[in-house]
Amino acid sequence: MTDVQSKTWWKGPREQTGAASIPQPHTDGPAQLSRRRFLEAAGFVVSTAAVSGCGRAPVETALPFGVHPEGVQPGRMKHYASTCLGCAAGCGLLVGTRDGRPLKMEGIPEHPLSKGGLCAVGQAVPLGLYDSQRLTHPLKGREKAEWSAIDDDVIAALKQAEQDGGVVRVVTGTVNSPTLQHCIDTFLGQFTDGRHVSFDPISSSAILDAHARTHGKRVLPHYKFDEAKVIVSFGADFLGTWISPVEFTAGWRTQRVPDESDAEMSWHVHLEGRMSLTGSKADKRYRLTPNDYGLVLSHLAVRLGELAGRTLNDVPPSAASPIDDADLDHISGQLWKHREACLVLCDSQDVQVQVLVNYLNELLGNYGKTLDIARPSRQRLGNDRELIDLIEDLRAGKVQALLVAGPDLTHNLPNRREMAELVAKVSLVVSLAERVNDFAELAHFVCPDHHPLESWLDAEPISGVVSLCQPTIRPLGNTRSILESFAKWSGRKATAYDIVRATWRDTIMPRQHKTQVFADFWNQSVHDGFVQVDPLPSEAHEFRPAVVKYGDRNASHTGASLELYAKIGMPDSRHSHNPWLQELPDPISKVTWDNYVCMSPKTAARLDATDGDVVRVEVVGGEAIELPAFIQPGQHDDLFSVALGYGSKGTERFADVGPQWFEARTTVGENGLVGTNVASLLAIGNETVGYVRSDVKVTKTGRRHDLATTQEHDHIEVPAAVAPHGAERREVVQETTLSAFRVDPKSGAVELHHDVEHQLWDEDHPKNGHAWGMVIDLNACTGCSACLIACQSENNVAVVGRDEVRRQREMHWIRIDRYYSGEGDDIEVAHQPMMCQHCDNAPCETVCPVLATVHSEEGLNEQAYNRCVGTRYCANNCPTKCGGSTGSNIHTTTYCRIWCSIPT
Amino acid sequence: MQRMIVTVILVVGLGFSLMVLASGVGLWHLPDNQQGYSPPQPIDYSHRLHAGELNINCRFCHSGAWESRHAGIPSTDVCMKCHKFVTDSFDVMQAELKRAGDAKEKPQTMVSDELRKLYDAFGLDKDLKPIDGVEPKSIPWVRVHNLPDYVRFSHKAHVTAGVSCQHCHGPVESMERMSQFSSLSMGWCVDCHRESTEAGINGKQVHASTDCSVCHH
Repeated sequence: MTDVQSKTWWKGPREQTGAASIPQPHTDGPAQLSRRRFLEAAGFVVSTAAVSGCGRAPVETALPFGVHPEGVQPGRMKHYASTCLGCAAGCGLLVGTRDGRPLKMEGIPEHPLSKGGLCAVGQAVPLGLYDSQRLTHPLKGREKAEWSAIDDDVIAALKQAEQDGGVVRVVTGTVNSPTLQHCIDTFLGQFTDGRHVSFDPISSSAILDAHARTHGKRVLPHYKFDEAKVIVSFGADFLGTWISPVEFTAGWRTQRVPDESDAEMSWHVHLEGRMSLTGSKADKRYRLTPNDYGLVLSHLAVRLGELAGRTLNDVPPSAASPIDDADLDHISGQLWKHREACLVLCDSQDVQVQVLVNYLNELLGNYGKTLDIARPSRQRLGNDRELIDLIEDLRAGKVQALLVAGPDLTHNLPNRREMAELVAKVSLVVSLAERVNDFAELAHFVCPDHHPLESWLDAEPISGVVSLCQPTIRPLGNTRSILESFAKWSGRKATAYDIVRATWRDTIMPRQHKTQVFADFWNQSVHDGFVQVDPLPSEAHEFRPAVVKYGDRNASHTGASLELYAKIGMPDSRHSHNPWLQELPDPISKVTWDNYVCMSPKTAARLDATDGDVVRVEVVGGEAIELPAFIQPGQHDDLFSVALGYGSKGTERFADVGPQWFEARTTVGENGLVGTNVASLLAIGNETVGYVRSDVKVTKTGRRHDLATTQEHDHIEVPAAVAPHGAERREVVQETTLSAFRVDPKSGAVELHHDVEHQLWDEDHPKNGHAWGMVIDLNACTGCSACLIACQSENNVAVVGRDEVRRQREMHWIRIDRYYSGEGDDIEVAHQPMMCQHCDNAPCETVCPVLATVHSEEGLNEQAYNRCVGTRYCANNCPTKCGGSTGSNIHTTTYCRIWCSIPT
Repeated sequence: MQRMIVTVILVVGLGFSLMVLASGVGLWHLPDNQQGYSPPQPIDYSHRLHAGELNINCRFCHSGAWESRHAGIPSTDVCMKCHKFVTDSFDVMQAELKRAGDAKEKPQTMVSDELRKLYDAFGLDKDLKPIDGVEPKSIPWVRVHNLPDYVRFSHKAHVTAGVSCQHCHGPVESMERMSQFSSLSMGWCVDCHRESTEAGINGKQVHASTDCSVCHH
């Protein structure tokens, strides 16, 4: 680490160069409301308000229950244990319900994986339940239909399909639910050639395929970050989006918070091309394009092979490593020193590269220690080979029936026009999507599944950890559980509850030894939300070194390449309906409401592009897309990166989100949608779906699409010459090194005390009783932004849309400042959550003309919001700009309970 | 001259209005002050009979006051705890028992008009047997005490601090039809908070904060 005291931290390029950072309103599109219309509306509003104020209070009825359900108390939050189905990581979920409505999600503190954490997506789950665009009834063609009629038609069509050859395909995302897997298997057992295709929009198929080669069994290891002293990650964004981020963050954190008595920390090296959340928290970050992962891994393998005294029956790579030899020596030395307690990870979709990763972990003796394949993970089981086979079968016209649940098959695959033509040839197409997505448009029948908060289901995210998903509200529409649908089409009529119970009685209960009474076992499991049982029998073999080959031995790659990734707020397009996630500032780029082409400052200068310049990204000899550019410090100069999951059907609803005043601009882009779908650039290979494309050409189009980024909002700096005494710029980040911390735990702390010459007020805030305080451990904070959505969910904070965010009017009560330091290869990142600081002599209180912001006797700044008249003096006088610029009012002066994805 | 006449008329009018206002101040309510509000209810329920004459504890029906911020209106099945057996006024039922005893018959089920509404809501037929397929319904009671949306009042906090129900709701045990006894204005709340902090409640020392966010949060 460089001399910590001399570093400067900056939020964005404009701040770094010292240019003014005044936001500009949109330059695209005309205003939508004329002056005349505004006056009409204003007149109407005023007169209506005047008239309605004169009336007597309306008569209200109070409806008690007919029969009072046991344990329910109106007005009190009640929590039910369940499982988050936002992704397949299977985090424990405590669903807070009030008056029969699920409202607030929390983690289960006792859960063995998530340990009480929950990510931003999990926090945003309830919004999907109340979504007005969710299907409330099944569709036949485009028409509303009855379940009985649809079932008759589907069963008849399935019978016909069996007679025609019986090629039936069920496509789902990762199915880690034992019950759902059983239902699908039973259903497919009726057909001559029935197969289940697991398809993840962001797949880790290569890791499983690599284990099939090296260990003889297609498994995903269970990574144990809490036991890893050295972590070397090649692009695996395990704190952000990779496989099970909440669980991994919890494990990672245990090694990152040094104690004064035992000052130890793990050493985390991250090699990546784009700037990810995990990269931002690494001790050492190297810029490396994904194409070179194989080469660097080969060089590491040679070094570790020498240390272990093992050699491969293969010629070592001749090309020089893009990472310095001295650095590689250091990394391999650290790994070897902490063998059996380290981890090498990679998110590459190249099976040969993943085989090499397995070899490294085997050399280091990590299997059985930090990687568990005896109790493997079931959190990302997608099999790209099956998907590629399915496309081949569709092309050959062999498939008679295609049933799709979970990910949108059309949206997430490259050639959507071909897909539509292929699907049109299938005689029975059924979608079980909750909304009409791109694939559901093509389906003959849409049989909507319940929302996860309405359904019984289970999950086994890690072999031996089985959790239950229980309904917390009666289904709001005439939807049907996917379990019931498959049971019905298998000729069985049963409720989802009975189906789940039957699986638990027959397959889960025999795997535990605590009780022999099923009722006890079931009741306890429903209460706890999960149960730990014996793992499924493991069939993994010993490691087979014969399959390992060095990768890319000749030359390192040159030329521009493109990486497709998932954003933290948008793991896949299934969440695109959720405005909270759309308006969540990305933890690194701080951009809301769009996807964009990330490029390094140097590349941007070469292309003469600035933030918001629309660029054309073209894979040589292939598809092209047009998206706004975004300058991302820390990005590799040869790499462009774009987020998947955007531009999905249904996001046209956000065109008019936010206040529609006379200067309002739309939130959607030229295509009428939020962002652009870039699945057309996916590389369908022989074994896997790849997210990296080489030979990419990027050109400027000359058009603009302004990005709504919050990164330089609330930036105030008083020039040193005019700053009053005590208001000079102070160090934003106070930091120290581990070795300095060992000598003196207070090292790095800069305490500046200013003598106050003139005090406007006497000390009139005595605190006699309680006083409140809150501390955030910045060593542990990853900037994951779960707290931001949790706060939004708890306090019902409004969404304002792209244009209002551009005008600095986002309403979030918490923001997470992200600072950069350094240049080129050595970018460092710091995350700093900011919310109301509850100042003692609070500037917001002294300027409020109506005394709406006041100080409580327990030391809190409080906001009597019904008293506020909207002068916004408070926001303008706030030194930390917390909740600075909300519509009429500052809200952040509510005492903050944080829902952190990091359990303490 | 004309202007002077107009001015005199205006001044007299203004004075007259002020007098009327001043004389009516005692009877005046600010807008939204519903003190004395006593709307007719769907069932002619008497607190005087239940809480006064029969001396049933408030908590029997309004148990939420001890557990939640809402005191709650009892669900229909709570009424049925007693009214499964008590189907008409005492006199009518006694008279029927006497008549049936004299005539050596089984007594008939006597149902008063008001209780019939309860049984209808609960889905019972004329012999008070459940009607197949009819779910118990809510009775649409008219809300008497209604605070603005920006006020969060918790019954639990007040009841556990020792504030009696009658302190705010008045002599409910003597009310035939429920009526809003207190003004429920902010001044009224704050007065009591100040007094309680100074003097305590029933001799118990309490700290009733007057911070804005105690109620406005």
